Amino acid sequence: MEKKQYDLCIEILRRFNKAGILDNFILIGSWCLYFYEEYFQDKEYTRRLSLMTRDIDFLIEHPRKIQQQVDIPELLKDLGFVTIFKGSKGYIKLDHPDLLLEFLVPEKGKGTDKPYPLPMLGMNAVTLRFLDFLTTNTIKIKLEDFYLTLPHPANFALHKLIIFQRRAREEKALKDRNAAVELLKILIDKDELATLKHALGSIPMKWQRKIIKGLELAEENGIIKLLNLSNSH
Amino acid sequence: MRGVIKGVLAEELQNSLRMKKEYEAALRSLPKGCLSAKKIRGHEYFYLVKRVNGKVRYFYKGKISDAEKKKYDEAKKLRAKYRKHLSQVKKQIKFLRGSLRGKEAV
Repeated sequence: MEKKQYDLCIEILRRFNKAGILDNFILIGSWCLYFYEEYFQDKEYTRRLSLMTRDIDFLIEHPRKIQQQVDIPELLKDLGFVTIFKGSKGYIKLDHPDLLLEFLVPEKGKGTDKPYPLPMLGMNAVTLRFLDFLTTNTIKIKLEDFYLTLPHPANFALHKLIIFQRRAREEKALKDRNAAVELLKILIDKDELATLKHALGSIPMKWQRKIIKGLELAEENGIIKLLNLSNSH
Repeated sequence: MRGVIKGVLAEELQNSLRMKKEYEAALRSLPKGCLSAKKIRGHEYFYLVKRVNGKVRYFYKGKISDAEKKKYDEAKKLRAKYRKHLSQVKKQIKFLRGSLRGKEAV
């Protein structure tokens, strides 16, 4: 990753923190892999995971709880971000040659293909399934004088194992699958098998079956064995 | 199927192509020209300097409000930033097209 891309990411986080909204967000997507380096305290491990795109996604667990009125497009305008309305439904995305910023909220109930309005932030968000799982177990890492919330790597990896099977584009699915498997192996190497098992145990059986299927597709029978998983689940 | 890396590069190319259009549109939406101040007998008068048919022309604006001054100042800064980013995006497109050139279609 280029230094200027990292610098821009940090500047965004710095501004969110100063505006008092950073605590409402959980960083998700491939940028997590970069920040997990802090969590694992081992550069060699995360080098294996470093295929990142410019997309930087923020998950908002409780969008209605946001108290501060912060116009995010205005907050980032002087950095050169342009606001775009994606697709026929008008999803708002902020684009910069180094980063593409988007907000996501967990999908509840029947679900909808319309954007979720975030009037306090001057944005809207994409609603997606399974995002709740990323919010149930989070970690905080220290950057400068503030903290950034990320999903626990165990939840992140298991979530990827579920969603790669829903990807329309095969190469994107493969990217997600590879990242998930590598992260699982790192967690096992780092003696975090118990955390992984706990994360697995906390999700519905239907999701567990999807995870097993994902591991079978990745031909990772060793991991299935270690996690005491079987098709009989 | 394309490899993972080629898939990522193809997606990034689409992003950069979209961004090129966005920056061009953003540049078009900014107010044209820059303000130039002239001091005459202690009073400040403004001219709007812009290109018309390739020639630099001065348009008398007289005394203007602080809000208008701020608007042109911000537009000047944003124009510089957007031009820089547009140039960056064009380089990305060139690089990504080059990287993807091969047997498979983008």
